[in-house]
Amino acid sequence: MQKVLGDFIHALRQAGLPISSAETLDGLRAAQLVGIDNAPLLKQSLGMTLSKCLEHRLIFDQIFDQYFNSHNQFSTDNSATSEDTGQTMAAPLSEPLPDAINSLESPLAQQLISGDMAGMQVMIASAAGASGAQEVTFMTQVPMVSYRVMQALGDGELQQELAALAEREESSAILSLLQQRRARLQQQVRDYLEQQFLALNQNEPNKRREGNLQKISLTSIDQRNYKLMGELVRKAAKRLASMHSRRRRITKRGLLDVRRTITANAAYDGFLFHTKWKSTRIERPKVMVLCDVSGSVSKVARFLLLFLYSLQDVLPNVRSFVFSSNMAEVTKLFEEKDMEQGLAEVLHTWGSKPTNYGRALSDFETMALADIDNRTTVIMLGDARNNNEDGNIALWEEIYRRSQRVLWLNPEVPVSWDSGDSIMRKYAPYCSHVEACNSLRDLNRILGSVLKHEA
Amino acid sequence: MIIRNQDKINSPDTIKQQFEALGYICSDAIATSVYLACHLQKPILVEGPPGVGKTELAKKTSDLLSAPLIRMQCYEGLDEAKALYEWKYGKQLLYTQLLKDQLGDVMRGAKGLDESVSRLHQFGDIFYSDEFLEPRPLLEALRTEDGAVLLIDEIDKADQEFEAFLLELLSDYQISIPELGTVKAKSKPLVLLTSNNTRELSDALKRRCLHLYIPFPSKAIEQKIITAQVPELNDKLKHQLVEFISELRDMSLKKVPAVSETIDWARALLLLNVDNLDHEWVKTTLNLLLKFQDDIEAVEPEIHNLLKVATKGS
Repeated sequence: MQKVLGDFIHALRQAGLPISSAETLDGLRAAQLVGIDNAPLLKQSLGMTLSKCLEHRLIFDQIFDQYFNSHNQFSTDNSATSEDTGQTMAAPLSEPLPDAINSLESPLAQQLISGDMAGMQVMIASAAGASGAQEVTFMTQVPMVSYRVMQALGDGELQQELAALAEREESSAILSLLQQRRARLQQQVRDYLEQQFLALNQNEPNKRREGNLQKISLTSIDQRNYKLMGELVRKAAKRLASMHSRRRRITKRGLLDVRRTITANAAYDGFLFHTKWKSTRIERPKVMVLCDVSGSVSKVARFLLLFLYSLQDVLPNVRSFVFSSNMAEVTKLFEEKDMEQGLAEVLHTWGSKPTNYGRALSDFETMALADIDNRTTVIMLGDARNNNEDGNIALWEEIYRRSQRVLWLNPEVPVSWDSGDSIMRKYAPYCSHVEACNSLRDLNRILGSVLKHEA
Repeated sequence: MIIRNQDKINSPDTIKQQFEALGYICSDAIATSVYLACHLQKPILVEGPPGVGKTELAKKTSDLLSAPLIRMQCYEGLDEAKALYEWKYGKQLLYTQLLKDQLGDVMRGAKGLDESVSRLHQFGDIFYSDEFLEPRPLLEALRTEDGAVLLIDEIDKADQEFEAFLLELLSDYQISIPELGTVKAKSKPLVLLTSNNTRELSDALKRRCLHLYIPFPSKAIEQKIITAQVPELNDKLKHQLVEFISELRDMSLKKVPAVSETIDWARALLLLNVDNLDHEWVKTTLNLLLKFQDDIEAVEPEIHNLLKVATKGS
């Protein structure tokens, strides 16, 4: 049972469920407790111990069905097997065969003739384990491994036996039966391996692709991966959320607040019962994000917006602005619309127009400059390509002066900053950080560190 | 507690029947979780939309095991002093005042500050002993002789720090009090945590628990629940009611009606002597089911259609 459960948990992990070894032990104990005869009960019990949220539970259910359907042939249920698979084979096994079995030499041939399907399945499973069925990572490896499994089962001897039988006239009946059974066995082995492969590996390519997408630069993602990328962005934002949304008070134990302690204990005749400690309450950060959605960043804009949207979900005090030549606040729009709709509307209304940072910033001045104080973080997502217009640097300086925490995330690589119509160089002195933000990983890292310092 | 009730919890089916006898209709998943929790001695983390009977499960489990239910409601800012223990400051103060003279006797004849202090030390930490300890829910649950059912309600409302603090309790059934040392459970309590998923709980917490998600019940189970809770209601109306509610749940509403609302509604209809669900009655009692004006406005024009579906079978 341990082996079966261990493999099953391996399959779950492949599908992305984070199952720790402690949970594996719990699962084993639960399985021991309820026994493995009652499949629905086993499913419930394992589901409770191994999956810890609804999303994972759904994946669990799916894999459980898949996995234990491919295994149930050799659970305890012999009757079922002999009924469906065994029937065609058991039918011609009438009288003369017991003698035939005795005349056969190779153990595999005896096994095949005896028609013990359950025993056969167990043999396949153990032979597959020994010949490395778990390590099959590509579908194309299946034939090779299935050959190895057949060898492990004793196919070599069987072949010899078949050759010997072919020379003797009187055993043609048993020869054809054996050949037929051997072909069936091969098919069985192959099926078993494919099922194993699917159960264990079907999510592997996905995982690999996700890993690559994290690193790939935002500009070179093709249409095909948009959806997956969207998922990833949301995941990242959610992770940031759970990491940072609640940290608000840092108590510095160790510094006694003498004044407050004395006041609090005045009633106790000067005995200091209640000690008061100095603590600093740190407010949730106020964040304003300005996002360039103009033509020059059109490819990245979608992701920047996606992140902006997710960020607003995550942090309570985020105000979102988008601009190409004019700036508009989209905080409300994001609150009301769901993600797809919101993004589409923003891109449709403001997107893909020529950029004018100067004009956009002066719009920003009227909308939000007054609200910027030293607890506000301003994040600019844009490439600073200004079509040779006036950049209104003075205003950017004013923003920096008020906030002191200004981040500029540029989707272009540093080499191409200041080339052509980019005026990054002019804005850069008035930013506390200027970073190239070119992949989801960058975005994660930068915003993670921002939030850590703020919250 | 577990051994005492061995016969009541020897299989998920038995638990299910016992619950039904107590008027709590539950699914296989719920019964299995209680069974596992009892035998593996693990806490259960119960999640699900509001009003599906998460808290009720704890109450009925305590009835089932005939163990006291100790409930701790979580909220933002809950800390150890309110959850675990506190010192009885008033009593400490009173005793120091009363013992002032005694202390004077003890100190008499001591030469210098050093000797006085060392004499005081000989008396140990009288003021920080069991006598002066005020147990709060968690400590109480550990100290109950025969085991208790501990309900930690809405754990997601508490701070992350508090969650971390619970870990020791959940895995080892023990708690450290700096002045006294470690307090171990006399008899391991059965712990249920509920969460409405307002925030993601930490993996460490989840790892220590069995996870139970209670969804809205199926129509059949909901009918059984109403039968158990409002037995006087006639079958036809019951059927209509459940159908209507399940239609409502498919609509996109701010807050869909939960089981508790269904029961309230059933009670109300019984009180109003309604025996057939019609447009007028639904309209006047809709505010029992829906808690937002927006939702009521969205549903009102649809009542006719919903009723048509709901009354089709009867």
